Amino acid sequence: MLAVKAEGLSKTYMDEAAPVTVFQNLDFDLEEGVFAAVMGPSGVGKSTLLHLLGGIDRPDAGRVEIFGVSIEELSPRERARFRNERIGFVFQFHHLLAEFTAEENVAFPHRIAGISAREARQRAAALLDRVGLADRGSHLSRSLSGGEQQRVAIARALARGPSLLLADEPTGNLDSESARGVFDLLAELHRERGMTTVLVTHNPELAKRCDKIFNMSREGILPATRFSG
Amino acid sequence: MSFETMVALRYLAASRRRAHVALISTISMLGLAVGVAALIISLSLLSGFQDRIRSQMAQRTPHVRVSPARGPILAEPDRVRQALASLNGVVSVEPAIEGRGWASGSAIESTLPIRYRNAPEGELRALDGGPPPTRVSAAVATRTRTAPGDLLRVTSSRTRLSPLGPLPVAIVFRIADIRRAAALEKTPDLEIPEDAARVLAGLPSGARAYEARLADPARAEMAARAVSLLLGPSYRVQTWRELNAPLSFALRLEKGVIFATVALVIVVAALNIVSNIALTVVEKKRDLGVLTSLGATPASLARIYLTLGALIGALGTALGVAIGVSASLLLDRYEVVTLPADVYLLTHVPFAVHPREVALVAAFALATAVAAAALPARAAARLAPGEAIRLSR
Repeated sequence: MLAVKAEGLSKTYMDEAAPVTVFQNLDFDLEEGVFAAVMGPSGVGKSTLLHLLGGIDRPDAGRVEIFGVSIEELSPRERARFRNERIGFVFQFHHLLAEFTAEENVAFPHRIAGISAREARQRAAALLDRVGLADRGSHLSRSLSGGEQQRVAIARALARGPSLLLADEPTGNLDSESARGVFDLLAELHRERGMTTVLVTHNPELAKRCDKIFNMSREGILPATRFSG
Repeated sequence: MSFETMVALRYLAASRRRAHVALISTISMLGLAVGVAALIISLSLLSGFQDRIRSQMAQRTPHVRVSPARGPILAEPDRVRQALASLNGVVSVEPAIEGRGWASGSAIESTLPIRYRNAPEGELRALDGGPPPTRVSAAVATRTRTAPGDLLRVTSSRTRLSPLGPLPVAIVFRIADIRRAAALEKTPDLEIPEDAARVLAGLPSGARAYEARLADPARAEMAARAVSLLLGPSYRVQTWRELNAPLSFALRLEKGVIFATVALVIVVAALNIVSNIALTVVEKKRDLGVLTSLGATPASLARIYLTLGALIGALGTALGVAIGVSASLLLDRYEVVTLPADVYLLTHVPFAVHPREVALVAAFALATAVAAAALPARAAARLAPGEAIRLSR
C-alpha cells in the first residue's frame, strides 16, 4: 500500500511583488514503512511539499492521499484530527512553544486530542524518557540546547503514534555531532514504530543512510538510488 | 482545564516579560477597570438619590389604594375597608376624600386651581378655636404668596343649593406646614383635615377610595393581588408604584441613560483589547501554525484568543468592581460630597451600591471584552498555518 500518493501538485505563493511558482504538476509516491530522504537545492519547494503532504497548506492543483485518505476531501475538523492522529511534524527550527516546558510541549498533541492533563503529562514524560531527556521535562524549551530542543520536537511529533513522520531538515541547524544524534534517534524510532518517514535534508551522508532518496529540482522530484542497510 | 485555556493563561502570564505587549495589556486592563469603576460609581450615585426619592415616595403615598372601577364613590366602603384591614402587615387604612377647587391667599389675584385631600389621621393637628390647619405644597405657597401661619381660602368646585340659589362652598384654612415634593410625585396640593375635606367634597360619609399603608412597602404588589381577589373586578386596586408610575419611569429612564453613556468608556477600553490581542496573534503566528500541525482546529485557535480576551476582561472587571464598590461605599460612609441642605433636603450626596447593578456592569464589561477579542480571534482561526511556519523561519 502506498503511504503517500501525490498527483499533479502545483503551488504558487503570492509574494509582495509577484506570484512565485514553487512547483507545478509534481507527482510523488511513497510506499508504507519507507524511510525516505528528499534532497535538493534551496527554494525548490521541499518544505512546501511536506506542508502539502501534512495538510497544513493546500495545493493550488492536484491531490494528496495519505494511507488512502484524500486530504482535500476532509473537513477542516476531520483534517485536524487526521493530523493529530496520523501525522507527525518535525521542523528545522524545532518550533517548540517558548512559554511551555519540554513536557508540556510534548503533551500538546494529547491535550489537543482531549486527553486529561494528568494522563497527557504521564505519556509525555515516558516519551521524553525514550528520547533521552527524562530529566529535562520541567525545563522551559528555551533553556535547552539545540540538540535537546530537536529531541523534544521529535518526541512531540511522535506523541500520538503517527503513521507518517514529516521531518523538515531536523538536523539543518545543529552541529555535526548533534545532527548525527538526532538522525540516529529518528532512524531508531522509525524502525521501532514501523512508521513511514519523509526526511528533507541537505546532508548527503545522512541521506545515504535512508531507504530511499528523492532528488527534487525545478523539473520535479525523481526517485533516486536505493541503498540497502 | 482545556488546552486553549492553558495556552491563553500562559500567554497572559508571559506577556509581562515582553515590554510592549505588557504595556498594552496593562493599558487595556486598566482602561476596562476605569470604565467599570466609573459606571459603578455613577450608578451608585444615582441609586443613592433614587433610593431617597423612592423611600419618600413610599412614605408619602399610600401603598395600596382601592377605588371603584366605575363611578365616583365606593359602593361598599365598609367591605373595602375590611378587606384592606385584613391584609398582613397593614399599618393603617384610611378613606380618601379628595376633590378640586381654587385656593387664594390674601392677594386676590393669586387664586389658583388645586387638588385637595384629607391628610392621614393625626398628621394635622387643629389649633383650638382657629381655622382648620392645612399643609400645602411648595408650589401652592409660592403662587399664592403665602407662608406658614397665613390664611388660605379654599373654594370647592362643588356648589350647595341655598334659598338664594347655588352658593360656592368655601373654607378658610391656616397654613400649618409647607411640604416639598419631587415634581413628578403624585401628591395633592393641599392636605386638610378629614371633616373639612368631607364638607368641601360634599361627602358626609363613605369615600372615593380607601388607602392602606403597609409596614413593608415592598410587599405592596402581593397585598394588592390579595385584595383584588377578595373584592372582585368592580374595584380598581393600585400599588404605590403604579400610583407613581410617571416618576418611577423617569427614574428608570435616568438610570438607563446614565448606563448607556458611561458604558461607552467600557466600549472604548474594549478597543484596546482588540489591539492587544491582535498584537499577540501576530506575535504568536508561528505557534498557531505549530498547533495546527499538531492537530488543533481553527475553532480551538480562536478559542485561545477569546479566552485571552475573557481573562483580560475578568481581571479588568474585577479591578474595576473593587475600585467602584469601595469608592462608592467610602463616599457614602464618610459623606465626602456635601450639599447645601436648604436646596437639596440632603446634607451630602448619597451613594447606594446595588449588587444587581454591579453584576450587570460586570457582565456587560466581560461580554464586551470577549466580543472585542472575537475580531482578532477570527483572524487567528483563518490564518494559513503553512504560511505561518514558512514565514517564521
